[in-house]
Amino acid sequence: MNMINKDNNMQPQKRSARDFLELVSGKPWIWAFLAAGATYLATLLVVTNSAGAGALLYAALTFASFSVIVGVGQMFVVTLGPGNVDLSIPATMTLAATLSLKFMATDGALIVPGVLIAIGVGLVCGLFNFSLILLLRIPPIIATLSSSFLFQSLAIWSNRGVRVKPPELLAQFSTGGIFGLPNVALIALLVSVLAWCVLEKTIAGRWVLATGQNKRAARLGGVPVNAVRFVVYVGCAVLAGVAGFVLASFSGGANLNMGTEYMLMSIAVVVIGGSSIAGGNSNVPGIWGAALFMFLIVSMLNSYGLGAGVRLMLTGLIIVSVVVLASKRRHQI
Amino acid sequence: MKLKSMLLGAIAGTVVFVSGQAMADTSGKTIALSNNYAGNSWRQAMLESWDKVASKAVEDGVVASADAFTTSENQATEQAAQIQNMILQGYDAIVLNAASPTAINGAVKEACDAGIIVVSFDGIVTEPCAWRIAVDFKQMGRDQVKYLADRYPEGGNLLEIRGLAGVFVDDEISAGIHEQVAKTNFEIVGSVHGDWAQDVAQKAVAGILPSLPEVKAIVTQGGDGYGAAQAFDAAGRPTPTIIMGNRQDELQWWKEQKTANGYETTSLSIAPGVSTLGFWVAQQILDGNEVPKDLTVPFLRVDQDTLEEILAETPAGSVANVEYSQEDAINLIKSAN
Repeated sequence: MNMINKDNNMQPQKRSARDFLELVSGKPWIWAFLAAGATYLATLLVVTNSAGAGALLYAALTFASFSVIVGVGQMFVVTLGPGNVDLSIPATMTLAATLSLKFMATDGALIVPGVLIAIGVGLVCGLFNFSLILLLRIPPIIATLSSSFLFQSLAIWSNRGVRVKPPELLAQFSTGGIFGLPNVALIALLVSVLAWCVLEKTIAGRWVLATGQNKRAARLGGVPVNAVRFVVYVGCAVLAGVAGFVLASFSGGANLNMGTEYMLMSIAVVVIGGSSIAGGNSNVPGIWGAALFMFLIVSMLNSYGLGAGVRLMLTGLIIVSVVVLASKRRHQI
Repeated sequence: MKLKSMLLGAIAGTVVFVSGQAMADTSGKTIALSNNYAGNSWRQAMLESWDKVASKAVEDGVVASADAFTTSENQATEQAAQIQNMILQGYDAIVLNAASPTAINGAVKEACDAGIIVVSFDGIVTEPCAWRIAVDFKQMGRDQVKYLADRYPEGGNLLEIRGLAGVFVDDEISAGIHEQVAKTNFEIVGSVHGDWAQDVAQKAVAGILPSLPEVKAIVTQGGDGYGAAQAFDAAGRPTPTIIMGNRQDELQWWKEQKTANGYETTSLSIAPGVSTLGFWVAQQILDGNEVPKDLTVPFLRVDQDTLEEILAETPAGSVANVEYSQEDAINLIKSAN
């Protein structure tokens, strides 16, 4: 009797612990969320006013959104396998934002064509990138880096660095929110849900993963490898165009240097989010965890009043530990 | 009568002499602008001012040519190579906005050895053979706090928005701010890096805001004031006194606030037209004039009274600007002598 009772008591505990371990080891993205949660709580320790906790979360969701939109695009590119990365994201953002805001010229009636222009610029940039990669056989890193000079120069040439304001309606929408969530976060959520469905539920998503795991095997297995790469590069540039458009509407205009920090940010959120930098193994939820973490870590260190040197060093150290933890779990399975 | 005609004669003679000198001595000379970066509105305005003033000078026959060159990557090595090309092309003077105060000293020395006049401005070089039109960045920091101390003698909490970490300019402005704050009742309760960009500043301020007590004023480095205002607005907190950096959207926002609720602040920065000051100083040196090696750029300051006037002159989305004339350069040289 006693024995049985003991067993009955033990088992659920054991199971839940094992379940948790399985969950953690099976989902590399969990580490990004744990890290984001820990930094959030650590920041709350120095938050003085009662409304601060909500305000910090709201700000984190807002600013993580931009990283999520470009991060999803970059994730698909990185998934294609070693050597695949899009370095033209900042320039594409700048060019799309500059051209679309200039076209709208603060006229609220032109918002829809403005969005289409941003998407169109993304399409063209993506097509250009991919034609360099496929037709001229230039390695993606070099192809996208050199095309980014071209896009940036076009942005300079088209508007000479003048900052055009977004239409009032668009500015209100992008800085506003519904149901207690920022509108930009809803856009990013929509993008990531779509991306998750494509990656996890469709044959196209499997093709992307297969291409990243072994391009030759995928080709022999009947995967249209070049078509997959084409769609991925163009899709990434379109997302960069959309991100540029939303960011410019949010921050009151397109700047020539507006996309700079998203070059490294887009890669960082992919890696911290638990996707494999070698490709072939990616996940969407981790991008959210990583994007929130990247915002919160800077806020935390700023709130603690640490100097820039310490701040950058700690950011680097923490990122390295999260990446190591996430990849270690994966190896143990 | 005799005295008057003698005086007139003397004046006429001087005019002929001065203008003759300027026309004759530099009309065959070539000047090049070596610029390390073009990726923001300040630099774009800087290049436009150069183009406007220098092409007018070429048209008027003051100099033979005045071409502008910008490197693509904001790298010292690239700019050193660019200067070496300029030496080979045989320019008479190089006006320089440098990527680093020390890293291109070698190339600058080579240019001097080849008999080329090198005038650095904004991003100056330490090589002794070159001229420097420097910005007193520390003073820029001190002036902001001085203005605030006049407004709020009782002191209060300050938020500091810095520039790009690790850059000389950021350290200097911040040092000036901290030096002056120590002499007042203010306390710096938070410090973030805004990278001199509105969207980065907005993000950084939004992140630190929940942990801050009431903020009385924000000291900035330029290009970040509007973003800070947006972040305070989004968080629903009262807007502090934000020192602006002469960007048109900052001035526009200031004017809207001034009309709505009598908002008061000040704004200061370096006019991008400082490139034209570099041009005229180089022309004066080529002309054979004695010019001290170290000159200081005047600040362009916008006050409560001059706001409307300067805003009206500033193109939408750009930076408040002044272009300097040959006379301005001569006056600056005189005041330094």
